[in-house]
Amino acid sequence: MRAGDLAEPFPVVTLGTEAVTAARTIGDHRVPGLIVCEDDGSPHTVLGGSQVLRFLIPQYVQDDPALARVYDEDSSDQLLAALSTRTVRDLLPRRQDRHELPVVDSDATLLEIAASMARLHSPLVAVVDDGRVVGAVTVSRLFEHLFPDVSGTTS
Amino acid sequence: MTTVLVLVAFVSAYVLIATERIHRVAAALSGAAAMVVLGVVDAHVAFFSEDTGVDWNVIFLLLGMMVIVGVLRRTGVFEYAAIWAAKRAGGRPFAVMVMLIVITAIASALLDNVTTVLLIAPVSLLVCERIGAPPVPFLVAEVLASNIGGTATLIGDPPNIIIASRSGLSFNDFVLNLAPVVVVLVGVLIVMCRVMFASAFAFHPERVAALMKLDEREALQDVPLLVRSGIVLAAVLVGFVSHSVIDVEPSLVALLGAGALVALSRLDPEDYLADVEWGTLVFFMGLFVMVGALVEVGVIGDLARSATSAVGDHYFLGSTVLVFASGGLSGIVDNIPYVATMSPLVADLVSAGDGSAGSRSAWWALALGADLGGNATAVGASANVVVLGIAARNGHPISFWGFTKYGLPVAAVTIVVAWAYLALRYFVLA
Repeated sequence: MRAGDLAEPFPVVTLGTEAVTAARTIGDHRVPGLIVCEDDGSPHTVLGGSQVLRFLIPQYVQDDPALARVYDEDSSDQLLAALSTRTVRDLLPRRQDRHELPVVDSDATLLEIAASMARLHSPLVAVVDDGRVVGAVTVSRLFEHLFPDVSGTTS
Repeated sequence: MTTVLVLVAFVSAYVLIATERIHRVAAALSGAAAMVVLGVVDAHVAFFSEDTGVDWNVIFLLLGMMVIVGVLRRTGVFEYAAIWAAKRAGGRPFAVMVMLIVITAIASALLDNVTTVLLIAPVSLLVCERIGAPPVPFLVAEVLASNIGGTATLIGDPPNIIIASRSGLSFNDFVLNLAPVVVVLVGVLIVMCRVMFASAFAFHPERVAALMKLDEREALQDVPLLVRSGIVLAAVLVGFVSHSVIDVEPSLVALLGAGALVALSRLDPEDYLADVEWGTLVFFMGLFVMVGALVEVGVIGDLARSATSAVGDHYFLGSTVLVFASGGLSGIVDNIPYVATMSPLVADLVSAGDGSAGSRSAWWALALGADLGGNATAVGASANVVVLGIAARNGHPISFWGFTKYGLPVAAVTIVVAWAYLALRYFVLA
């Protein structure tokens, strides 16, 4: 089994995509993140859902989680509204803080995919063929094949 | 020859600590190791000598208070107090700043400064965001208040803990001699903040509602733990106040309090030990061995004799030099190694005096100079560095000079006020 066989169509955004659209896409597709591509279709990075949250939640609330409890509902909505004027580019970590791109070739083995996810703490890897994104493998998709349900108990 | 080598090793380690070329723990341990290699320090001296070894009273007092803080911070009481105070201030920026300064100064007198600013800074950022005030003046004011407030008590600032252990001065001695001037200095700080940060106090009535919507009671995460922590902390303070009467060292009071709190909180060890700064404790140990070696080879004794003959019975001159020199040096180098080095020297100086209030004022001159001098620059005290880090992480970077342009005048004015206090209390009115 190779990455190309496992890869599923995956939502892709560009750096200029509105941040709200990106967040909505993650929610609608129930995926852990999105692949961010350059305008020419080559992979730029992966935008994880937690990165969107890190942008939304002020650093001081992340430092002191007790503060999250003092907000009322209106204030929470105001925090979420901060996304409305932003693009995907704003949500990404600074270039110097970014890790290696979670990308594998379409002929990568399951272990190569697993190693890439583990090393980069990424819940998904983009699969490329000839420099073009052909889909992605999520950690759940990978586990489905690493630990197949032989008892048939899956509902 | 050994004396020269010990001096070279000491100065080298000190330079490494001051310049932060290597981590200060590594520098202090290297200095201590050099003293062992030079044959000046053995196991008996390092571990069991009260005068020249590791001062376990200091180490365990710090450890006990760190454990107490580790439990206390889980209650959310600091967040509650800060939001409550900001709401009582009606969201008016200057009134909010005054409240936060007072809370920080009081908390710093009872807890260590770094912990205090770590707890107050995030909630201050939240309050500033709500009322539309620039956060940098508030963060700077808080760290300045923390260093001033910590001066008030034996447990407020690590240099005071070292001074207490080396001088035999009690918790009450510190409160009676330093707290009065610290109250005045907090007032001075508030006035200076009003002037220095005048442009930060624009009032936005329309934003007050956003502040008032915050529910500070939600910050209290574990009310039963808060009650138990409050009772234990009160008992610990009673223990500190009465330690000379009940004949229990402050270090044991802190350890007993920490033990009681751990038992009552039923937290796991990894939770209440998470806030123990092991690196700081090891740094202190290395430092004590380094300074002890200087005492062993007679360097401190020689310096003390020179200082004693230079001062003679001009105690006011001695205290004046001590408060200003300590203030100046503490703005540049970490005040902990400075006080650790100076304490044995001042102890000799005081014991050679005539026992008058003037001759004993050298201890208060050292404490005031070293503690207040930490405000002068961004690297003058650990709390300053911590707040600069918090500010940068939250998108409000404060440069070295950005801090120093406020810290230096505050340090200068507060040290002059402290000097005037020393002159009045121990010489003019004594």
